[in-house]
Amino acid sequence: MTDQLTYQDLAALMKKGAGLTVDPDALERRPEGEFAEFGLDSLGLLGVVGELENRHELAMPPEADKCRTPKEFLELVNAQLAAGV
Amino acid sequence: MSARTGRRPVITGIGVLAPNGTSAETFWKSTVEGVSVLDRITREGCEDMPLRVAGQVRDFDPADLIEERYLAQTDRFSHFALAAAQAALTDARLGRSDYEDDPYSIGVVTAAGSGGGEFGQRELQRLWGPGPRAVGPYQSIAWFYAASTGQISIRGGFKGPCGVVASDEAGGLDALRHAAATVLRGTDAVVAGAAEAPLAPYSVVCQLGYEGLSLREEPDRAYRPFTSSACGFVPAEGGAVVLVEDERAARRRGAPVRAEVAGHATTFTGEARWAASRDGLAHAVRGALAEARCAPEEIDVVFADALGIPEADRAEALAIADALGRHGTRVPVTAPKTGIGRAYCGGPVLDVAAAVLAMEHGAVPPTPNVFDVCHDLDVVMGRARASELRTALVLSRGLMGSNSALVVRRVEDGTS
Repeated sequence: MTDQLTYQDLAALMKKGAGLTVDPDALERRPEGEFAEFGLDSLGLLGVVGELENRHELAMPPEADKCRTPKEFLELVNAQLAAGV
Repeated sequence: MSARTGRRPVITGIGVLAPNGTSAETFWKSTVEGVSVLDRITREGCEDMPLRVAGQVRDFDPADLIEERYLAQTDRFSHFALAAAQAALTDARLGRSDYEDDPYSIGVVTAAGSGGGEFGQRELQRLWGPGPRAVGPYQSIAWFYAASTGQISIRGGFKGPCGVVASDEAGGLDALRHAAATVLRGTDAVVAGAAEAPLAPYSVVCQLGYEGLSLREEPDRAYRPFTSSACGFVPAEGGAVVLVEDERAARRRGAPVRAEVAGHATTFTGEARWAASRDGLAHAVRGALAEARCAPEEIDVVFADALGIPEADRAEALAIADALGRHGTRVPVTAPKTGIGRAYCGGPVLDVAAAVLAMEHGAVPPTPNVFDVCHDLDVVMGRARASELRTALVLSRGLMGSNSALVVRRVEDGTS
């Protein structure tokens, strides 16, 4: 994983955290589609956040698990990763 | 059970996940042939426990049946329940197109006594190993008794009345009663049943405190209720789910009407007070018969609780005599669970499935591993007994003191 989270990374995290098979291209094509439309519920997003925090040993902002879309999530997380480096 | 509105709860589909068969067909075939599948416990981490014999579900890969997103957030007991629910819906020929216009017309009710022990153990090991940050968020829901109801409801898109019964082993029968009552109140159909997965190390350790748990090593001697060598019971995993539907709704969509959920009653007599369970169970039987408007002589077969603790067996034999009178010594009594073990809440629902299949096939299945009954009961042993069966009585008691009775009855085509 690079220092910046990609749609590819997010799809992998959704698979690991919530058992969801999501096409990364679909996330990238519809970055403002709701997570729920991709099958990710609030607990699943919590799992994604937890996994990210463990990997980067970095706390994510409290808004992270309230993001509604992949775009919103990536922007927030990448800002945090950039600030944390 | 019927209401003045003309509604009548009937079973239109059966899904089974049992140690002796992962479909209703294979379950019935093994059951009617009296096959015992009790064997040495081989689940990982359980091999060195004092519990030696169990009824394990083998050859079950939930990934063949259920989407990964549901599997990732659920324990094995919910995997069984999800698979059995799917099988029941398929059996009842109820598809999404039947209810997508009115998802509130279908509800779900399950019972559970063991919860998600395997999932919970894994997450607790992460908690005390790598630490709290390694615990996944689905621990918050997967272990919980209500998990199967919720997941069946979400996966199927069922938005009707949902519930969970936590009333001991007998809860399996109580869940069907709740489903029937929901149908009588106006819901078209309820997915109802119970499945358990108590064969993870943590769950087994919890059961070691039960005085009735059989620790014998020989699979054919570990669970022999109603005999002078009764030495407790063998635990099992698995269960069954049925679709309980209003008869008219079922006939409207041309679904097979398998049996009526005719009557039910339950009592509570306290933990391990087996002598007292005689009265409690007899009272439950009388209540179920009264609700079914059924005379004792109309009962064609009894599926016994058959706990395997001598005092409890005696209490059950006496309860059957108390409630059914002289008919109690003549009616065929069976306990097919001696071939698969007791799947806690799943056990009595498996018995209901067996009862409906027995009525359809005209055969009382035998009681495996039981040969020398020391009570005044006509226990069917050795091989199945051919008999026309119209009405069956299913009994269940829990280790904590619940006693339930359920009457299921055949329904003639076209009557309503």
